[in-house]
Amino acid sequence: MNKWVFKGLKTGIKTTLYPDKEETAIGISPGLPRGKQTMGDEAQVVSRCPTQALNYIEEMISVDYRRCIHCFRCLRGIHNPVEWDKGYEWAVSIKEIDDPSRMLGKAFGHSIHIRFVDGGACGACISEIEQINKPYYNIHRLGFFITPTPREADVLLVAGPITDHMRHPIKKAYDAMPTPKRVIAIGTCAISGGIFGPSFASEAGISNLIPADIVVPGCPPPPLSIIHGLLLVVSRKPSASLTSPKSTEGRKTL
Amino acid sequence: MGDSLNKTVKLINLPETIASCWHTKVRVNLYPEKFLCLIECNTDVLVEVCNWLYSELRYRFASLVVEDQPEKWLLRYIFYGASEGGQVHILCQLSKTEKIIPSISNVVHAADWQEREAEDLFGLVFEEHPRLGDFILHEEWPEGVNPMRTEFDSLKPYVHREVDPEWRPVRIVQTPGAFMMPVGPIYSDFAESAHFLLETVGEDVIRTIPRLFYKYRGVEKIAEGKSVEHVILLAERFSGTSAFAHSLAFCQAVEDIVGIEVPERAKSLRIFMAELERFRHHIGAIAGICSSTAMAVPASQASILEEELLRLSCALTGHRYLFGLNIPGGLSIDFNNDILKNIATTISDVLQKLSELKEMLCFSSSFLDRLEEVGTISRERAVSYGLVGPVARASGMIRDLRKVLPYSGYEKVDFIVPCEQEGDGYARLRVLFSEAEQSAQIIHQVAFSLPSVPVVSPVFSMVHGSSLGWVEAPRGAAFHWVKLGEDGRIARYRITTPSFTNWHGFHLAAEDFAFQDFPIIMATFGLSNAECDR
Amino acid sequence: MISPSNFFILFLILCSLVVVLSVFLPDRRNPLFLAWISSIAAILILWSSGNVLLYGRPFQIELWTLPFLGTLVLQMDRLSALFVFITGLVFLPVSIFSAEYMKKYFSRYNLKTFSIFYHLLFASIVLLLIANDIFSFLLTWEIMSILSYLLVNYEHEKYENTSSGYLMLAMSEAGTIMAAFAFLLLVNGSGGLDFASLKSASAGLGDSSRWAIFLLSFFGFSVKAGLVPNNIWLPKAHPAAPSNVSALLSGVILNLGIYGILRVNADILPVTQVGLGLITLFVGTVSALVGILYATIRNDMKVMLAHSSIENMGIITAGIGAGFVFTASGYSVLAGIAFIAALYHMTNHSLYKALLFLGAGAVDSSVGDRNMDRLGGLIKVMPWTGLFFLIGALSIAALPPFNGFVSEWLTLQTMLQSAALQSKAVKIVFALCGAALALTAALAVTCFVKAFAMSFLGIARSQKAEKAVEVRRSMMIPMGMLAVSCLLFGILPTYIIPVLDHTITHLTQESVVDELVPPFFTVAKGDPKFNEAFVSEFHDIGAQTGRNIIPGRGLVVLHRGTERNPVVFAMSTPYTLVVLTLLLGGTFILIRVLTNARKVMRKPAWNGGIRRLMPEMTYTATGFSNPVRVIFEAIFRPSTFDERKETIAEHFRTAINNERKEVHIVDRSVFQPIVRGIQSIALLLGRMHTGSVNIYAAYVLFSLAIVLVIQWFM
Repeated sequence: MNKWVFKGLKTGIKTTLYPDKEETAIGISPGLPRGKQTMGDEAQVVSRCPTQALNYIEEMISVDYRRCIHCFRCLRGIHNPVEWDKGYEWAVSIKEIDDPSRMLGKAFGHSIHIRFVDGGACGACISEIEQINKPYYNIHRLGFFITPTPREADVLLVAGPITDHMRHPIKKAYDAMPTPKRVIAIGTCAISGGIFGPSFASEAGISNLIPADIVVPGCPPPPLSIIHGLLLVVSRKPSASLTSPKSTEGRKTL
Repeated sequence: MGDSLNKTVKLINLPETIASCWHTKVRVNLYPEKFLCLIECNTDVLVEVCNWLYSELRYRFASLVVEDQPEKWLLRYIFYGASEGGQVHILCQLSKTEKIIPSISNVVHAADWQEREAEDLFGLVFEEHPRLGDFILHEEWPEGVNPMRTEFDSLKPYVHREVDPEWRPVRIVQTPGAFMMPVGPIYSDFAESAHFLLETVGEDVIRTIPRLFYKYRGVEKIAEGKSVEHVILLAERFSGTSAFAHSLAFCQAVEDIVGIEVPERAKSLRIFMAELERFRHHIGAIAGICSSTAMAVPASQASILEEELLRLSCALTGHRYLFGLNIPGGLSIDFNNDILKNIATTISDVLQKLSELKEMLCFSSSFLDRLEEVGTISRERAVSYGLVGPVARASGMIRDLRKVLPYSGYEKVDFIVPCEQEGDGYARLRVLFSEAEQSAQIIHQVAFSLPSVPVVSPVFSMVHGSSLGWVEAPRGAAFHWVKLGEDGRIARYRITTPSFTNWHGFHLAAEDFAFQDFPIIMATFGLSNAECDR
Repeated sequence: MISPSNFFILFLILCSLVVVLSVFLPDRRNPLFLAWISSIAAILILWSSGNVLLYGRPFQIELWTLPFLGTLVLQMDRLSALFVFITGLVFLPVSIFSAEYMKKYFSRYNLKTFSIFYHLLFASIVLLLIANDIFSFLLTWEIMSILSYLLVNYEHEKYENTSSGYLMLAMSEAGTIMAAFAFLLLVNGSGGLDFASLKSASAGLGDSSRWAIFLLSFFGFSVKAGLVPNNIWLPKAHPAAPSNVSALLSGVILNLGIYGILRVNADILPVTQVGLGLITLFVGTVSALVGILYATIRNDMKVMLAHSSIENMGIITAGIGAGFVFTASGYSVLAGIAFIAALYHMTNHSLYKALLFLGAGAVDSSVGDRNMDRLGGLIKVMPWTGLFFLIGALSIAALPPFNGFVSEWLTLQTMLQSAALQSKAVKIVFALCGAALALTAALAVTCFVKAFAMSFLGIARSQKAEKAVEVRRSMMIPMGMLAVSCLLFGILPTYIIPVLDHTITHLTQESVVDELVPPFFTVAKGDPKFNEAFVSEFHDIGAQTGRNIIPGRGLVVLHRGTERNPVVFAMSTPYTLVVLTLLLGGTFILIRVLTNARKVMRKPAWNGGIRRLMPEMTYTATGFSNPVRVIFEAIFRPSTFDERKETIAEHFRTAINNERKEVHIVDRSVFQPIVRGIQSIALLLGRMHTGSVNIYAAYVLFSLAIVLVIQWFM
């Protein structure tokens, strides 16, 4: 058994220093498009988006992150691509800033229990969520734990366009959680249905079924943005915005 | 050269052989340049022909495609030769008034779930199939509504029906005092949604029938009528961990329909990316097996390697899971040869660490205790269920589409297909390690021998036609059958995934083992419900 | 004051009156009438025996004198009084229960005959217990056997009932014959047939006769007591009988076997050989182990309780065996403790087993099914029955503060006391038997967790269980009485042990009450046995709490040792009960106060998100006890037959079914070989019957010749 101990010690510490320091390694995030002022023919890029995430309003290209599925068609194969933002703090709280039920409260700051529910996610979102428990990201150091029962959970992580067969189980899981409880929707599919919904077999995201408090867009969102979402739910980090530029956030309904 | 001649000879002889057995009842068309043989027959000789093809000529069953055409049903049974290559499609027509077709599952058991899916989604009845119903559509779906029919509107949410209070799940073990342990659909830390009823009399699990399709998103239906550009996004995203493989299969099908030739560089790069994905997937599967046996340190070691590969993929292609790379005709971006060579070197380093991990695991007796002789699948069972991928290769069934039906330039790459005989969890683990090694080696080969030609073929337009695209995805053989309509849009899209094929055979491994071995057996299979449910 | 003997005569008159009257009463009124009269009879007998037991005034009645057989004498001494008291304690609630329970037999069977048999059985049992000479003993024993057979076979229309009853009767008769032979050997050399003269003449018996008498009487009475290897009738007889008769069977009739063993081997002819004691100990331990193993894997409630009775009888016998060994080795104090433990356990067993059987009867009459695989969720519809059954289960699982704990604990402590003996071999046997008894205690907990949980908790597994309703109050009251007495016998050991002590002083000639219950409340200063230092030490830990309020000697059971080891064992269930109540009650109140402000939401249990948890998805009784079945496979040797795997075309398995059959280990190892041996001998002898008259004539001539030869040699 001691050979494993030595192996572990020899490998050293790989964990990221986020949230204390910015993570600067390469390849931690696919990035998101950024909105910008433009005029005229640059607006052609808007028509390349398959999910209408790009819009041209008032001489601005705005990006609605709730719909972006990372197909990169606004970036590649076009002579005036959008600007690209290589960050990872993408989690957005969709409640008003003075809503008292917005966040979980100070008591949960360093101790939340998380239940993950798969509502039809493709393997990529699930794989990214699994990474948060692995050595590079390790949420235990932040005080966050995964629990297999919703009875002990404070936060419900949901991924996938909610498929029809999973509506009933997810509703039951949500009802089984004691208050206070929050729901985080991971991935574009859970926010707007992504490329699958709405259809006969999928919803357009989770909001029709249970109220989502925080959304983390991306297809899939990298582990750091999922951690940003968890830090956001306990008010340890500020929220990002749903659209870019922020001024176009007025259109909150899908 | 002689090999390919042999293959065509075998295939060329088919029409005479068939004609001699069933002369009037079948019609054979041979397309030697595509290694394709089309057999049209009536429903009364269907089972005989399939039986002959399967048992005598040793062709393997790939997929069943059902098309809902205006005046008739068209059923296409796709077989392929395991040793000779080449595809044989058996076409069967039913008029709209008949709905009963003989089932071939008693003969070709690999067709079992395909027929159940066709019954659920189309409403066809397969005679003598003992277990139709309650497959994809669960008990709250109204009877008689079949989503894959053309008249069903895919955008309309379906009407829920009150579940019959007398409804009971199928129960196999009828020993007095037997009961079922329900697992899921929400269970464990990160498990994908699926429901299991483990039938037991107290200690051993005697029978387990998984109830899947909780993640059914109807990809085949929502793809109908959409453009190829849109459907390739679906092909990538329905199973994110093998995105590149599935998008490759789709692109190959479209390229075959249009008849364009993909440039050599694109083919080599596709091999590079596919093997990178396979390498990363296998390391993830190894991490999953270690964590299912609760060995924290090797699980962490494997996870570290997996994350390094994800970051490497993102640095190279812009996305951690290789989304957005494949387009019909080639790849969407090109890469610098030097960067690719560096990546190949990094991958060799990762492989080195992986081999150290493998050495250490081989000597952990407590770990091996949980894997050896647990979850065994015999070779006969693997063959009769038509299993694919590392699971099949661990049971002595060498079958890899990269060797049998080479695509995208694999015939020029030098590699071996690892195989083990025992069929237990440890054999599957060893296969995963060996295949990872082979993938790293292929990446190295390809990176150092890239031709310098364009990475994408010139622009073309869609024509109508149908074709089969296939790929050896990380989990096994995947088949995408694409039919383009007159307007160049998708008319029918049929996906047969390796997880679908292997979930069918999962119960063979999980039976007669203790309940505590169940999660470990699942981890050694490494299946994805998202891939199976589509 | 009416003397006990007069009470007893009143009792007999009442019984005979009932027998006559019930012939004339219509069927519908009979159960109620039976309940009233037998309750009054039970109270009478309780009063009578209680008097003798507590105040020590034995009475003797001499009946007719038979020619050549001596006088028939009835005498209630303290030993009989104890058994009669227990009989009354059990008959009272069972009679009250019968009022409602017998109504279900109303139109199918004759309730008058039931009433007649019931009272006759009551009378014969009491007469048996106070018979003081061989003839009356054997006569009443036979009458009791036959009547118990008639009552067990009450539902005679079912085939399995008649065959079970027949087996019971046959084995009972075999045991009676063996006991009769023992008595015959005892009479050899004695003046009369009454027990007093037998006792005085017993001193002169030789070693070989002692062995023969012991073995014959022990194995003869062990049939009635249900010890291995004569227990195979018990698991069949209990489910055949109506539940109130089962309660009598386990609570009263099994004790008669113990009475027989004690009367012959502790009173008339006390055991003086260690070997005989070891045999008793061994048989007891094996019975306990075999009984509880089979109880754990059985799903029919009454079969399980029957096997559990075998287990408890085994524990009692083991205690008696330890007592025999200690007597034979000269340690009369330890012998006294062992006998007290055994008799206490017998009392407790009668109480909680009767309670459990009445509970099973209540469930049976309400649901209509006894198989625990088809019950479930009954506590919601039958809360009181559930509560009383729970108390019975807690008692039989030997959990404080109930009565099973005290007697089980005392039994195990006496096993440990074997350290005082000299011989190593004996000590090893004691150690092994002690370990086996500890194992049975653990298995008993498993068995009764399964019994209570599978029947009352969870969700209903069948339609019948869903539609059950609570039983009427007249069936709940007797269960409540027994439950309360289980609790009382558990928290008042310091009052019961002195009573038992008076009983066994007669057998061991030494009082052990001081050794077990130190008089913390009544100790005087300067008492030689309990010096100041000792008492003050215990005063500091609260052993004298309640000294001025509670009467009696004290509340602590404690056995002292030497200087180096001042306390060998000690416990106090009343103080435990007080502490438990304070802790649980206090925690409950604390939580209520602390969470007063918070709302409590009640939601259905989390089941993984499935639509509805169905009964097929919950643990069955078979599944719960499967680990025991697997671990002890060598004993059970299940044989699977009829393993059917229905498949279609080799691939589609549609049903898997296998029936398992287990032959009881006693049947397998003792009776089947004997039967096979006898059958093969008979087959061999059968060859003599050739059918030819000439050969038979030759046989006659041949035997004549042999007789002549023998005569010539004599």
